[in-house]
Amino acid sequence: MDHGRYAALFLSESREHIGACNQHLGLLERDPGSQEAVHALFRAMHTIKGMAAMMGYAHVTELAHRSENLLDLVRAGTVTADVALIRLLTEAVDELDRGIEEAATGHDQALDFSYVLERLDTLVGPESTGASPQAPGPASAPEPAPRRPRGDRSRPVRVTVRPGVMMPGARAALALNQASGLGEVTDVTPGAQEFQQEGFDGAFSFWIETDRADEVLEEAIRSVGDIDSVTIGDAARSQGPAAGGDAVQRAHNTIRVDLRRLDALMSHVGELVVARNRLVELAAGYAGTELEEVSGRINRLVNEVQAEVIATRMTPVWQVFDRFPRAVRDLARELGKQVSLTIEGGDIEVDRSLLDEIGDPILHLLRNAVDHGIEPGADRLQAGKPEEGRLVIRCSRERDSIVVIVEDDGRGIDRDVVLAKARETGVVDDEVEELTDALLLQVLGRSGFSTATKVTSVSGRGVGIDVVLTKIRALGGSAEIQSQVGRGTTFILRLPLTLVIFRALLARVCDERYVVPMAFVAETVEYNKATRAEVHGRDSLVLRDEVLATTDLRDIVGLDGADRSMRRPCVILEVGNRRSALLVDALIGQQEVVVEQFDPPSGMPRWVSGATILADGTPALILDAAALV
Amino acid sequence: MTNVAVERVLVFEVGDLVCAVPAGVTREVISPVAITRLPGVSDVVDGLINIRGTLLTVIDGHRLLGRPANPDHEGAIVVLEVFDRVCGLRVGRLVDLVAVPADAVDGRDTLPGVDPGIVKAVGRHQDSPFVLLDLEELLRPVMGT
Repeated sequence: MDHGRYAALFLSESREHIGACNQHLGLLERDPGSQEAVHALFRAMHTIKGMAAMMGYAHVTELAHRSENLLDLVRAGTVTADVALIRLLTEAVDELDRGIEEAATGHDQALDFSYVLERLDTLVGPESTGASPQAPGPASAPEPAPRRPRGDRSRPVRVTVRPGVMMPGARAALALNQASGLGEVTDVTPGAQEFQQEGFDGAFSFWIETDRADEVLEEAIRSVGDIDSVTIGDAARSQGPAAGGDAVQRAHNTIRVDLRRLDALMSHVGELVVARNRLVELAAGYAGTELEEVSGRINRLVNEVQAEVIATRMTPVWQVFDRFPRAVRDLARELGKQVSLTIEGGDIEVDRSLLDEIGDPILHLLRNAVDHGIEPGADRLQAGKPEEGRLVIRCSRERDSIVVIVEDDGRGIDRDVVLAKARETGVVDDEVEELTDALLLQVLGRSGFSTATKVTSVSGRGVGIDVVLTKIRALGGSAEIQSQVGRGTTFILRLPLTLVIFRALLARVCDERYVVPMAFVAETVEYNKATRAEVHGRDSLVLRDEVLATTDLRDIVGLDGADRSMRRPCVILEVGNRRSALLVDALIGQQEVVVEQFDPPSGMPRWVSGATILADGTPALILDAAALV
Repeated sequence: MTNVAVERVLVFEVGDLVCAVPAGVTREVISPVAITRLPGVSDVVDGLINIRGTLLTVIDGHRLLGRPANPDHEGAIVVLEVFDRVCGLRVGRLVDLVAVPADAVDGRDTLPGVDPGIVKAVGRHQDSPFVLLDLEELLRPVMGT
């Protein structure tokens, strides 16, 4: 087995099932009698067990197996799902979560789950030998039993493994093994030894003699995961023995793809876009020629390929956000609070690479809200609020960005306290009388600024709002805050849909060109005698009834500013609700820009968010608008 | 004949200084190309270049080693991989890629007028001495994280 490749697959699939476990633990906690939750947990646990066994991760298999046994007892009604049991299961899932990561990096042997296992045993009773066999490796797939007269309880079963699965043979062997646990299996077609052959397409059939109901049989087979269809009884017979799965394959049009493949594809598309830009620029000098025509076609095709590849990488946010309710619940419990989390717009899709990055910052905001925002139940009741605190994550699309709103109905931020602390530490001048939302964000965004009076294990770890804001900015996004004492706090995060390709405005100062992401360009205007003004000693631009402080890009990049003309183009930058005017020497135009990775020297300035290659092949720096407004 | 350990080094000139880097850390050598200035960083950094679609930080060997450039030198960029980071070193001109027997690399610390801190060893090529640069020491302050 190509272990590394399968380990990555094992990890990504197991994570999904761990996610499902967490989700259903939450359900079970709210409704301990939920059979649906118990069944789903059982299935997920069973699948993890099967996959771990297939990979040879003995410790993970063992823990999943024992958890599954406990769930089996709950399912059968022998054991009741009470608070202690749910807590133990939660712990087991946490350990498994840790375990799958360790195992996939080759450290299964070093795992020690004895603490959890002991307690699982006290509820289940120690493991009796062979009660529920561990799934064997593919090599030991059962041989078909000798043909014998079939009794009344004998039924044909036809199974197809989902097309595109990496190891159809191993899945089939597992499924068969599950069936064998319920009765006597005979006449496996094609033979189990053929499951490992190159041409095996994942379709097979067999006869089983069992007392168990069809539903039980089907559930057992499906529990190995990635089973496309299970047909039992006459329906299976009429289809005849398993043959080529053409019809089945046509009916299903999704496949699993290794993320690294998609990353490689995206990176190639990035290079293609850069080369395309260059080609289009070169061909522009040959108007009316065949070269221009071909370049036009390539231009359109590259656009289409780019759109398709980006679409392929789009992932619904719930895939990462689903772990939040569980985290919020655990933390709230630890703090003796009641908090519910609702996620709206979980189907909104963003680029996979971005999704991986935004999980932690958002989780941090949630933890902050539970710890500092939501009041203890008694205080809430006294304030006339429901005892249970409410957290909401709202996701939506806005042009080329995704907006994630994290909202709590807690005590809100006490601006007086923040202002006092800000004055004390010199973050704001003494004459600042009132903290506007924008100023509040600036203050909270200062490194290490915290007004938490006591240090808790939760958010007093030196990681504050500043880290969250820095991360969001680094991803090319922006943040806003709204807070009302007694009513709660809302963070509004705006992020690009993808990290790799975006539209940008090209600006020139002296003979240097810089890239401004369009996501932060509100408009472009002219700065001249009529529009300029001096406000509080600062050079400013009057735009309609708004006064915007100006920043000269020449000063930012350290170029001589001697011959500054009085008429200059000006880019109005907008990051959240903050706006400012950036003076440049000329605007060159808009261009699709691909962020290029490189090893930068030490001490890169804060206003650089990255670099790209322009259409003529020259490197150019991308400005971080958030650092300039 | 006994097998004498040899070290392959790339010998080049930076101003009046003949120096060398191990061939093992050298990815390629390219001719000077258009360079984009990187404001706000150390002035030994020349800027960014694009080699076949990849961005590369280029460091000026003359400023790094404190040697005035020789106007007769056509210039070259040596692409180096040191401590997992890739960067370019702009030098005056290439001399040769040579295999020097390990015993041709003197035990001497340095040559007169050269900061011993940046010298790993002193070798000889066609009767003239060269310094084998201590790239770790030289580049960590500029490219280190």
